[in-house]
Amino acid sequence: MANYGYGGGYSTTSYGEQGGANGGGFMGGSQQGSQEGGGSKTYGKDTVRPVTIKQILEAHQPHPDSDFKIDGSEVTQLSFVGQIHSIASQTTNHTFQIDDGTGLVDVKQWIDSDQDPEHVRPLPKEGEYIHVWGRLKAFNNKRHVGAHVIRPITDFNEVSMVLLEATAVHLYFVRGPPETPGMKSEGGGQGMFVDSNGGGAIQNVGGKPMPATLSATGRKVFGLLQSHPQNNEGLHVSMIAAQLGLQANDVFKAGDELLGEGMIYTTVDDETWAVLEY
Amino acid sequence: MADTLSTPRITSSYLDSFTSRTIRLIGKVTQLRGEQATIDSDGNVTAHLNRDAHLTVGNAVEIVGKVNQDLSVKVLKATDLGRDVDFAAISAVVDATHRYKEIFYAE
Repeated sequence: MANYGYGGGYSTTSYGEQGGANGGGFMGGSQQGSQEGGGSKTYGKDTVRPVTIKQILEAHQPHPDSDFKIDGSEVTQLSFVGQIHSIASQTTNHTFQIDDGTGLVDVKQWIDSDQDPEHVRPLPKEGEYIHVWGRLKAFNNKRHVGAHVIRPITDFNEVSMVLLEATAVHLYFVRGPPETPGMKSEGGGQGMFVDSNGGGAIQNVGGKPMPATLSATGRKVFGLLQSHPQNNEGLHVSMIAAQLGLQANDVFKAGDELLGEGMIYTTVDDETWAVLEY
Repeated sequence: MADTLSTPRITSSYLDSFTSRTIRLIGKVTQLRGEQATIDSDGNVTAHLNRDAHLTVGNAVEIVGKVNQDLSVKVLKATDLGRDVDFAAISAVVDATHRYKEIFYAE
């Protein structure tokens, strides 16, 4: 799920060593796809993503037959938990209606007729909690999950775990990697900030934590400005865009955010920024 | 569509913001008095049981139910969760549910 690499131009930046250490090459490729939604080949979507059922129901499908997107990132393989609401068994499949407290979704499990009857696992019952791994599908405008694995939950803490996992991954995509050193980022994206400026630099702007509302791009731009050798001029938008492998208008948006927060200021012209230190 | 079907996870302190809504509440059964039970979910909650509910004192239980005006809960479904439930994780989930409600429920 950690497809937040930090851009294609990674190794040419001043913090290239960190990038290399984190295996940024592959990450960079997947980031392009997930963030810009371009036609580039993506791998990140095939990672299993923990979700809530509400996220499944609200997953956005840009056009029929295309991949679903949650929080702007493509998803196919899902992991979620829920209580069985009802079961409908046909000759070819079992359809479970699953409720996790955030919504209801149908989960289809195909019956393998070649399977040795001795090894057939007992069917979960209504009211039981199960953990489902499967693929999100749409058929006749109705969404269901094609299950690869359905496992009954014997330890209820697994339910708490998956719901918290889903929250963490949701926040990861919406806000970017966590910035506290204690919380290990799954993607290793954290690495880019831990450079000679001190790992603490990103958490502390004049002693203040970074605003939680800051977008992922905003964090990246700020990280770059901070890791860049400081002079009076700062960096021009086109330089930032080139180094982070971003579109200039995305950088402008991030800059507006940072200017609004008083974290950076304009120098020689409106398009050249430096970190506001005090 | 999903709005009406969601059952937000809460603890006792959220009861007053969820009157006449269907919610999900996890707590430890502290008392059983016939049709009524007291459940400790960061504070005591009175639950009006239905016939299918089989609660065990000392066990954790998950209740799907409707919050009455007097902040008691009418049980629609009760699931026994045994004794090995991490209540810190449960309150973390409740906290996340309301802090990041965009992925958990609609107002």
